[in-house]
Amino acid sequence: MYLKKIALTLASVALFWACSTGTTDSTEPTPQPGNAGSTDRKAMLANLADNIILPSYANVKTIFDAMQTKADAFAAKPSPTSLTEFRRAWATAYIEWQKVELFDVGPAENHTLRYFFNIYPANTAGIEENIVTGSSASLDVPSSYPKQGFPALDYLINGLGSTDEAILTKYTTASDATKRIAYLKRITGQMNTHFTTVYSEWTGGYRDTFVNCTGLDAGCSTSKLVNGFVLHYERYIRSGKIGIPSGAMTNGVMAPEKVESFYKKDLSLTLAKTAHQAVVDFFNGKSVKTGQEGPSLKTYLNGLGARDSRTGTALTDIINAQMAISAAQLNALKGNLYDEVKINNSAVVQTYTEMQKAVRMLKVDMTTAMSITITYTDNDGD
Amino acid sequence: MTGTETSPAPLAVFRVAFGLMMFGSIVRFWSKGWIEELYIKPAFFFSFYGFEFVKPLGVWTYGLFAVCGISALLVAVGLFYRVAAVGLFLSFTYIELMDKSTYLNHYYFTSLVCLLLIFIPAHVYFSVDAYRRPALFADRIPAFYPNSLKLLIAILYVYAGLAKINSDWLLHALPLRIWLPARNDTPLIGYLFNYPWVAYVFSWVGCLYDLSIPFLLWNRRTRPWAYAAVVIFHGLTALLFPIGMFPYIMIVTALLFFDWEFVQRSGSCPAYRSHGDTVRRTVPLYTPKRLTRIAFTLFFIGQFLLPFRYWLYLGELFWTEEGYRFSWRVMLMEKAGYAQFTVKDDRGKRMVVNNTEFLTPLQEKMMSTQPDMMLQYAHHLRDQFAQRGFRQPGVYVDSYVALNGRMGKPLVDPTTDLAKVRDSLAPKTWITPFDDEIHGF
Repeated sequence: MYLKKIALTLASVALFWACSTGTTDSTEPTPQPGNAGSTDRKAMLANLADNIILPSYANVKTIFDAMQTKADAFAAKPSPTSLTEFRRAWATAYIEWQKVELFDVGPAENHTLRYFFNIYPANTAGIEENIVTGSSASLDVPSSYPKQGFPALDYLINGLGSTDEAILTKYTTASDATKRIAYLKRITGQMNTHFTTVYSEWTGGYRDTFVNCTGLDAGCSTSKLVNGFVLHYERYIRSGKIGIPSGAMTNGVMAPEKVESFYKKDLSLTLAKTAHQAVVDFFNGKSVKTGQEGPSLKTYLNGLGARDSRTGTALTDIINAQMAISAAQLNALKGNLYDEVKINNSAVVQTYTEMQKAVRMLKVDMTTAMSITITYTDNDGD
Repeated sequence: MTGTETSPAPLAVFRVAFGLMMFGSIVRFWSKGWIEELYIKPAFFFSFYGFEFVKPLGVWTYGLFAVCGISALLVAVGLFYRVAAVGLFLSFTYIELMDKSTYLNHYYFTSLVCLLLIFIPAHVYFSVDAYRRPALFADRIPAFYPNSLKLLIAILYVYAGLAKINSDWLLHALPLRIWLPARNDTPLIGYLFNYPWVAYVFSWVGCLYDLSIPFLLWNRRTRPWAYAAVVIFHGLTALLFPIGMFPYIMIVTALLFFDWEFVQRSGSCPAYRSHGDTVRRTVPLYTPKRLTRIAFTLFFIGQFLLPFRYWLYLGELFWTEEGYRFSWRVMLMEKAGYAQFTVKDDRGKRMVVNNTEFLTPLQEKMMSTQPDMMLQYAHHLRDQFAQRGFRQPGVYVDSYVALNGRMGKPLVDPTTDLAKVRDSLAPKTWITPFDDEIHGF
């Protein structure tokens, strides 16, 4: 009886070791694009970096540079034309930004890029103070985050008066016009500096670091990427864009003034829809350059065979279906989000509710299937 | 087993190795900044039921760890052994009782070993005590003592093995089928982890290993092979899973099964040399007293029964975790959860709680999958919000938990006001039933 057990145990151990050190000519699953599954994380990271993250950053760079040109032109000569052009460039850049905010990994995470680009609602009193203070006002402390970036620009070019003329006088005849122009230039410069730092780190070597760190522990790419991705969807899309303004998270106390792009009200829904679509496309590994899907979180989950054990439905299908429902809710909202929060509140709250279902799937079902800890802590388990 | 005598060498070797390892663990814990992070920074701690008085001591918590580390060193060298063993047991157990979210089975095991060491004369040989006071020295001791420790180790393994006899582990290779692919970038063997059959091999081998290894260690003929298996098995788990000190603790404790004859023969230890080759003493003092025997017997009866206390509850053990701790259930579950609390007061005020305001990431993670911790947290929220002007606050949780790859679902009834639920060991009727079955132990 003992001998049998011993033999069995030893045989199993031997078998295991033989396998682990033995031949490698077995039928290794080959990675394939699209819906086919693959557990090759390196291929996934490479596709995400080369076909989504880097080209998206490159797009932002181009569009942001264009905005900076228009900002400089406006600063040099504030006029109805230069204002209109600056606004148009600003809106385009703001939309493009929604496609990169979700990459909260590596340089963007280290330099907390989001904080210098998109913390809203803008602190208008703080902005006015900074204008008076001039260049000695710090733009690098946490309290300064809502005084810069796209929301601050929104205030400065859309929110200073009820007519374009009124806004223009702030930059021409007002006593602090020079200081206001200086502040405007300062914050576009600040955005440029931070973005350039992040982008040049990605192109200057981080791409390889990113692709080669294939472990799933808290310090490595996949884990950080997934954590940042889920956090972005939960906190910055579900809560920031929809949940908080709608009052869904605060006892129904609406806060329409907390919508993104508050001074250019008809832009807020476009921003939210763009951000939502970027999340879906990223999940599916859709190339920014070709529109083709490649190795992604979806193919990785498929490779792992993640499915609802009860129905046999693939987890990725369940997630994509829920994402489609959230997107449909969001797309059904009309006009501007500010008004929708006030007059069509239940539809906005419903959008939040559907997004909340997606959050759970991403945060619990997806991460548990991948064996990634969501609130990562450097600690033992058993 | 109590009548026979045996060499004190295995216990002495064990004492030294265990003490040094404990000391190393404390140093590791300290240097990683975990004392600060786990016991000083958090504003709230999850007490164990009945041990609510055990709380971290603020900055004095460092002193507690210092006492623990020094005691471990003293145990290792065998200086002021009894006092040191008491100090080690008390300080270590206190540390482990401070917060449930840091509960690990191997910490519990360590506590139990420390408790037994208080009553075990592990210092009669190869120790400073025996060198300083030759009256303490003995080169034979009752086998009762090492056998008690071996029995505890055997219980740990056998129960850990029994716990693996369930349908998730054996029939579905869960959770290893989830965990192994996460390691598919391990050099050489990593690609194997993509194949489900490998997870099955690991699951079955792991189960058979746990069930058989104590017997194989106990048997003289199989012992060297068994120890090699211990080193390989635990070495592999150390490589693949983030389980901290556990593999090393088991590798060290298994040393107890060897007789260490060569240590005694070599005469290399100072205490031994000081008494010469011819001395053979079994100090009658070390024969366990009646009271000691009764205490040990009760202790082991408790150890035999405790893991089965889950039979007193109806729900699925993995889901409700009623009776899960202190039962050697190790690495059985991939469980993840999400818990969003809402506090309401009787005047219609409502607030969705941001967990990060009250809990550390580790605490939040642990709380999100364990109903008893959700209840403790809900009570804490009730008290906090009462101070913030909520009148008669009610606390509700919207929870979502996924177990071993099943799709997530609510763990707790979202309509139950947890503020009004009393904490007790009685079955928790407010846990949502697990509408699936996991067969087996």
